[in-house]
Amino acid sequence: MPQKRVVLKNCEVIDPKRIDSHLESGGFKALSKARGEMTPEQITNEVKASGLRGRGGAGFPCGIKWDGARTAPGANKYVICNADEGEVGTFKDRYILEKDPFTLIEGILIAGQAIGAKQGYIYLRAEYHYLLDHLQSAIDQAKQKGFLNGFSLEIREGVGAYICGEESALMDSIEGKRGEARYRPPFPTTSGLWGQPTIINNVETLMNIPPIILNGADWFSQMGTERSKGTKVFSVSGDVARPGVYEIVLGSPLRELVEELAMAKDVKMVQIGGATGRILPYDKLDTPLAFEAVLGAGAVTVYNESRDVIDIVHRTMEFLAEESCGKCTPCRQGTEVMAEVLDKFHKGEGSLKELQNLEALSSAMMLSSLCGLGQAAPNAVMDSLQYFRNDYESRVAK
Amino acid sequence: MENKINLTINGKEVTGRPGMTILEVARDNGIDIPTLCYIQDLPPIGACRLCVVEVEGSRTLVGSCHTPVAEGMAIQTHSPKVIATRKVLVELMLASHPDACLICDKANICELRRIAADLEIGLPRFRTRKHYFPVEDENTDMVRDMSKCVQCRRCVIACKSKGDEPLFGMAYRGFDSKVIHGYDQPLGSEACEDCDACIDICPSGALRKPRRAGEERAAKALIIKG
Repeated sequence: MPQKRVVLKNCEVIDPKRIDSHLESGGFKALSKARGEMTPEQITNEVKASGLRGRGGAGFPCGIKWDGARTAPGANKYVICNADEGEVGTFKDRYILEKDPFTLIEGILIAGQAIGAKQGYIYLRAEYHYLLDHLQSAIDQAKQKGFLNGFSLEIREGVGAYICGEESALMDSIEGKRGEARYRPPFPTTSGLWGQPTIINNVETLMNIPPIILNGADWFSQMGTERSKGTKVFSVSGDVARPGVYEIVLGSPLRELVEELAMAKDVKMVQIGGATGRILPYDKLDTPLAFEAVLGAGAVTVYNESRDVIDIVHRTMEFLAEESCGKCTPCRQGTEVMAEVLDKFHKGEGSLKELQNLEALSSAMMLSSLCGLGQAAPNAVMDSLQYFRNDYESRVAK
Repeated sequence: MENKINLTINGKEVTGRPGMTILEVARDNGIDIPTLCYIQDLPPIGACRLCVVEVEGSRTLVGSCHTPVAEGMAIQTHSPKVIATRKVLVELMLASHPDACLICDKANICELRRIAADLEIGLPRFRTRKHYFPVEDENTDMVRDMSKCVQCRRCVIACKSKGDEPLFGMAYRGFDSKVIHGYDQPLGSEACEDCDACIDICPSGALRKPRRAGEERAAKALIIKG
């Protein structure tokens, strides 16, 4: 099946520097519809009915999140667009920000209308600093055309912490604090930024909003599987002939993306969802890409037969140990232990006892960590132990 | 409006009031959940994770010190899953902790050691590098040995010494994160005001009073099992 461009329909079509070229292709019509013909409740109901789930990795139903913030009491509500695309191997949001900033702004404005927010933030990853002027120009042009209509949209830049892509740490960072995971409840929808009701959505989630408002929930929910509606944008990289950004309907098999679109050969395994994502071996390549099976934020990294599994998992864990915020015990200490154990296996100095300990440690980290980083950090270890156990056992010191 | 919340803890029906945490209700009912970062009357920190409990319907365990009770909750505070997780957490703390209990000033009153004994933990299964920081002993009221810190952050929130500007803060990330003073400077001779708030609640040997020769220990020894 070829690509299906819903989120990316304007990319490479419009001139991302000129709002007029966006307006000519039907831009901001969804915003007019949302503001002119719909109540906030109707907007959130439409999003709910569409079945849209968050594209940042966790897959929380977007409409339910919006409804929570809409009905929560609070004088100042906030919309945050999470553009801290820090997951290893993702670059789809960068592509969207470069090629179609206007639809994103439209999505943020509709979100603001839905929950009754007057202030929005785009939290831009530090490494995307070069996009700051481009994005600010898009906001200024939208403002000039009168689309902001009293809504204030500001860009906040990160300073290079992976953890600040996690929603609670991101809000700490906007507040000017050290970016660390908060415990929940309270959830951001009732007590988020500065203790006010806040929705925080991924770039791609917000890109889906204008087409849903314009074409209706039924049109959107025809695409995808029962619990995964719509399309998904993937960033495919690694041992492939054609790396890049691809958008396909949810539920499509991984094989289609990896072998047909990106033209990978001699695939050994695929890491889906970046450093905290899952690892699938070649014989699981027919797994559907959906929330029911495996998805994440859309990073698909392909490794061919020449790659060493332990090396990849070790480097993944070193990254997570480096990027853990250090607040909770399981993540701070656990990622360090894992990185050190994997280093031993990498050098051929592992022991079977340590493999058993890794399993106990993984379980504790998944169950007790404060945020998604610590909970998902053992994924690569557990998956590689399941599918490539021989690679570990062959590295046990004799 | 009904002002009571009904729930079960370990199969026993108990009640709490709105706003109470699972930990508070459990302790009111004589159930002991270990904590290292929680301090009564101060806002919960949620860092140590030792107080995790099983709540029916929840994918992960939840921190009892910061999770409010809700009607109909079914909680297990000492299920095998919970105990196994707590053991790993304490072993992780011990793994990077100096093996200095024999000569540690707080050895007999150490909360970390007591919790390890309660959970019947011997030598930790895990090995990591240890923290090594020079002992900060210039202050006349407090000796700070950050090698022994378990990063509970009690001292960070408890410090009253400078009002709006507490003495301690957090710095660095991951395994390298550390409770710091100023811009990670050693505690100088004039840093604090001798209220002992942080020393009294430090669960390990990281903060203590300078001991003068011949002086008796203030606190009663904890019973060390096993």
